Amino acid sequence: MSLSVADRARRIGTFRFVEVRLMEIAAGWTPTTPEMEAKVMFGRHIWDFAQHADALGRRMFELRQPAQRSFDPAPAYVTLLEEVAAVEDTAGRLAALYDVLLDGVQQQYRRYAEEVDAMLDAPSLVVIEHILADARRQREEADQLRRALELPFSPSPGLRARAEAVEMVAAAGA
Amino acid sequence: MSGIGHFRLGHLTLREPPARDACFDVVLRDAEMHEYDGSDPRALRETVHRHMSNEITSLDIAAQCLVEFPDAPWELRLELARQCWDESRHVQVLERRLRELGGRKGEFPISTFEWSVTCALDSLAARLATQNRTFEAGAMDVVGSLAPAMREGGDRETAAVLDGILADEVHHVRFANRWIKAMVEQDRRVLLKVASAVRFLAEANAALLAKAGEENAVGRVMADPTERVPAVNVEDRRLAEFTDDEIHEILRQAGFRSLLPQREPA
Repeated sequence: MSLSVADRARRIGTFRFVEVRLMEIAAGWTPTTPEMEAKVMFGRHIWDFAQHADALGRRMFELRQPAQRSFDPAPAYVTLLEEVAAVEDTAGRLAALYDVLLDGVQQQYRRYAEEVDAMLDAPSLVVIEHILADARRQREEADQLRRALELPFSPSPGLRARAEAVEMVAAAGA
Repeated sequence: MSGIGHFRLGHLTLREPPARDACFDVVLRDAEMHEYDGSDPRALRETVHRHMSNEITSLDIAAQCLVEFPDAPWELRLELARQCWDESRHVQVLERRLRELGGRKGEFPISTFEWSVTCALDSLAARLATQNRTFEAGAMDVVGSLAPAMREGGDRETAAVLDGILADEVHHVRFANRWIKAMVEQDRRVLLKVASAVRFLAEANAALLAKAGEENAVGRVMADPTERVPAVNVEDRRLAEFTDDEIHEILRQAGFRSLLPQREPA
């Protein structure tokens, strides 16, 4: 049986929380990252994440929720987001956001797409397809930037392991 | 507010500069900038470099507003997020133009004055009033006369870049005007925040702007600040939804000098 409307709203609302937080992480890093080219890329991606959050937020209204409502992720995932936001060096930031967080977020969207009735929830899937296409572009741009600035591709192994271990969506009623 | 701290300048508390590439020499005072006479071959590159630097700063400011005001209405946060992308594109096109002119980033000193003033303010209304409604609107006046002058001088490329940027800036000023108005309608005390920000900016300007007769870092003798006020870009200020009364006041301050509409032919 596919997900209920309430289950889908919880998942979509959690995705919205994460996209807003990604926007804030990229925004928080913009003034504190020295490389002009990295700032420029963050500027584009801030707008990408904001649009993702907005589209998901509009979908929430169609799922019996207030427009632009978010659901908090599981506490361990919130901690992971905070840990990523606290990374200070440019190479570490790029690895944490694009190799670890975005990789995991893409997997979560794909899993959602597999679990819902593709006909019944087509409006959500259209939004998600758009987000996944953006995420692929964002990760390519991050790779190009690292090559241009000769920055190492160095995701922290500990961070990646934690990202793979934590659940994003909190249990209902949590 | 975390991350970037503050510093004292006389009795003013300003924000420490945002991070910049090591190739940039960040200066504080107007007179430390390399503003050349128009006849100097470096003047055009320095102008493009200065605009590029200001766009980086505008990006930093819009991004910082997203971080420091998480409870702002979502529609306003969307505007700020879009502004981040606009400013980042502006940096890219200006850097491309700079390289076409034989220049490079870091070639001239830069200032992050707009950040240091705007991000020292503790309300979003005050920041919008300072960055978008004052600095960006002022840039509309500067570019409004600079782009046609460059076109007339035969530099159509730089003129087209500046005019394209100007169209984006009109909206940044317009959304600030709309949101400040909405915030004031909701809470009249916001007006006090805005008035206080205007006074703060005036004091910072007085402390850091080059004085009349002062010689800058490249030996140019600076005119009186009141004589350096650009002609008012009335047409774009109207598009940015300044009221007629506001435009009249700005014209009065500029000695009633205004631009005639002068756009690239369609």
